[in-house]
Amino acid sequence: MKLWTPLSTILRRTLPSIPYFPTSQFQSPTYNFSPSPPSSSTNSPNSLTHNFHFPLKTFCSGSPENFHVRCWTCGHVAKAALFLVCDSCRTIQPVDQSVDYFHIFGLERKFDIGVENLEGKYKEWQKKLHPDLVHSKSEEERGYAAEQSGRVIDAYRTLSKPLLRAIYVLRLEGVDVDEEETLSDPELLSEILEIREAVEEAADSQELNQIQSQMREKLSHWSNSFANAYRCRNFEEAQNSIRRMTYYERVNEEIVKKL
Amino acid sequence: MAEPAYTVASDSDTTGEEKSSSAFPEIAIGIDVGTSQCSVAVWNGSEVVILKNTRNQKKMRSYVTFKDDIPSGGVSHQLSHEHEMLSGAAIFNMKRLIGRVDTDPVVHSSKSLPFLVQTLDIGVRPFIAALVNNVWRSTTPEEVLAIFLVELKAMAEVQLKRPIRNVVLTIPVSFSRFQVTRIERACAMAGLHVLRLMPEPTAVALLYAQQQQQAVHENIGGGAEKIALILNMGAGYCDVAVTATAGGVSQIKALAGSAIGGEDILQNTMHHLLPDLEILFSKHGINEIKSTGLLRVATQDAIHKLSSQTSVQIDVDLGNELKICKVVDQEEFEEVNKNVFEKCESLIIQCLHDAKVQTEDVADIIVVGGCSYIPKLRNLVMSVCKRQELYKGMNPVEAAVCGAALEGAVASGISDPFGSLDLLTIQVTPLAIGIRADGNKFVPVIPRNTTMPTRKELAFTTVHDNQTEALIVVYEGEGEKVEENHLLGYFKIMGIPPAPKGVPEINVCMDIDASNVLRVLAGVVLPGSRHPAIPVMEVRMPTVDDGHGWCVEALHRTYGSGLDLVTIQKKI
Repeated sequence: MKLWTPLSTILRRTLPSIPYFPTSQFQSPTYNFSPSPPSSSTNSPNSLTHNFHFPLKTFCSGSPENFHVRCWTCGHVAKAALFLVCDSCRTIQPVDQSVDYFHIFGLERKFDIGVENLEGKYKEWQKKLHPDLVHSKSEEERGYAAEQSGRVIDAYRTLSKPLLRAIYVLRLEGVDVDEEETLSDPELLSEILEIREAVEEAADSQELNQIQSQMREKLSHWSNSFANAYRCRNFEEAQNSIRRMTYYERVNEEIVKKL
Repeated sequence: MAEPAYTVASDSDTTGEEKSSSAFPEIAIGIDVGTSQCSVAVWNGSEVVILKNTRNQKKMRSYVTFKDDIPSGGVSHQLSHEHEMLSGAAIFNMKRLIGRVDTDPVVHSSKSLPFLVQTLDIGVRPFIAALVNNVWRSTTPEEVLAIFLVELKAMAEVQLKRPIRNVVLTIPVSFSRFQVTRIERACAMAGLHVLRLMPEPTAVALLYAQQQQQAVHENIGGGAEKIALILNMGAGYCDVAVTATAGGVSQIKALAGSAIGGEDILQNTMHHLLPDLEILFSKHGINEIKSTGLLRVATQDAIHKLSSQTSVQIDVDLGNELKICKVVDQEEFEEVNKNVFEKCESLIIQCLHDAKVQTEDVADIIVVGGCSYIPKLRNLVMSVCKRQELYKGMNPVEAAVCGAALEGAVASGISDPFGSLDLLTIQVTPLAIGIRADGNKFVPVIPRNTTMPTRKELAFTTVHDNQTEALIVVYEGEGEKVEENHLLGYFKIMGIPPAPKGVPEINVCMDIDASNVLRVLAGVVLPGSRHPAIPVMEVRMPTVDDGHGWCVEALHRTYGSGLDLVTIQKKI
């Protein structure tokens, strides 16, 4: 029993950001997405953190009551649903699961967002939430800072990368993309094998750069087709686009490794 | 920093409640312990001031002499002459020795120093000793550093008229977590609590963030994000950082560093002047120490002169009818130290690459540290970055300590009415952390330059049918092979349910929390199961102590490849 207690305290800070975000996405050896928000409700069997029970009720404030949320230290009533820091005493608040990544960045929930302003907003949040800044505060608040700041890092990373953002918006719609599934489309399979071979046999960095720019083109093409599919709520097609993007992104990473 | 388990000093005053209720929180001081020189700075309520010792010096030599009954360091001790430091009685360059084993090339390059650095080449802590009255008195790098820190602490306490406990220390980028524990131990021995350890260029980055913030307040330039490349090269280490700064927040994009510095330049040049230096010095007798000391001082002097003149005349009598009389010009000097400059160049290129930043996006190029006066180094940085000039807003030898003092104030929860402390550094992991797998390969779980705090997971599997145990050997570094990295610790997973090889999934999770504490978790899952087959192991790293070099060899001898793991290949 002793082992479990410290474990859950460490894991507390990467509490599920959204309830349906399986960690299996984040463990691929070639694909480093993380830090993996562990999930409490997925069918992913292979996550280390999956089976631990988080004191969820402490954190889930539930959206209907959101507007009656009070600061846990000074009792000030939250003015908006986005209540990460108290406006009155600047104390960092517990994580609220109902706030999604778009919300944190003040964006509408859609795929085609402008990423130019993300970094500024990200830094603005970190200046309020980063654990280094509450070093001398209570342990409780330091814990909240670690969770909130970690969540903003996740949000920033997810929103700034098209593929991660695509997976995320779909998941918000309740659609899970299984990245571990084997490739069944023979046409895509042979295409990917061909590209991989080309990468492996590339003689110099010039050739690699060439393949890379092809991948970029493909990525932007499928990212557009994802945007369309998502807008039309054609989730089947959207998932297909994600699959494509995933493979091209992997090739890209292979190239970066070789360059 | 969290206090390491062995800290004996009371930690009662680090509890949050006590501190937040105090009206005057203790402001942590910033210390930059360099390989060759050291300085201390503190936030005085409105700005950063650098403390001076009783001899009015801001920069103090980093050494401890054991000549007298009570050892004394460069803070209080006055050298009668430079040669006094080179008599064998003084220990210096601690930062190049601390936390290293006797097989480390950096330790080997320290063997020509006047004090004794003895290596048995078996992977244990090197033996170091100071020559006192014809006796080699043994000590350790931690002890020497602790003595030095005690002096610094006393000096700061006299000047600030208050007890000092909390410090922010700068460390080289290439320091492993094991080396960090040695620094923390030295601090604990000196009664200091390490509030935070900052890789040197990130301290400079924080100072830069503050300067940019002030410029915005004074309406010079806009508040847009600015990318800066920082190179910090002192006597012991060369470190590079790329930082993206906006609104007082410095987000470190990438770090790169190596144990290469002014000491290497000095030794290269000494070898150039006296090619059979090693043979001459191998006896390590009193006469040899004296000759080498004379050569060292003369070479150091020549290198300093070459910063401002094109050639230098070296004239030195080393005794025993050995005289050196030579003119060395810039070009020759640069050729002799080609390996050093090439390494610097590769670090800059690697850092820009890792940060995914193009040279044209870099707004400012900052070169600091003792070596920043070397014309070749400045030219090299400008040529790699395709620039004509370097950032001028900083004192090259004070930048790191000023940044550490700013961090000390910020981390102590101090705020400034003028917003001068409205600052934050978002750090990244300077080195990758991973385990041994796929034979003798180092497989990173947390890649280098990952924003902290972080948690990453990677899946491995067994290599033998019915393999019931697996060794998790944790390393930190950048090498592809495990032996090129720093060992942090190891543990065994037992009770893996019997299954064909490749079937059990062994998840290794690494977590770095807000206090920079690393925990490694390992668990076993069988296909179709949702629960770990056995209790998860959780190990706080590093666990290794001295003599770790041969622990791995012993493990290998005992277990062979019987407890090996491989990464799970991505399905196509």
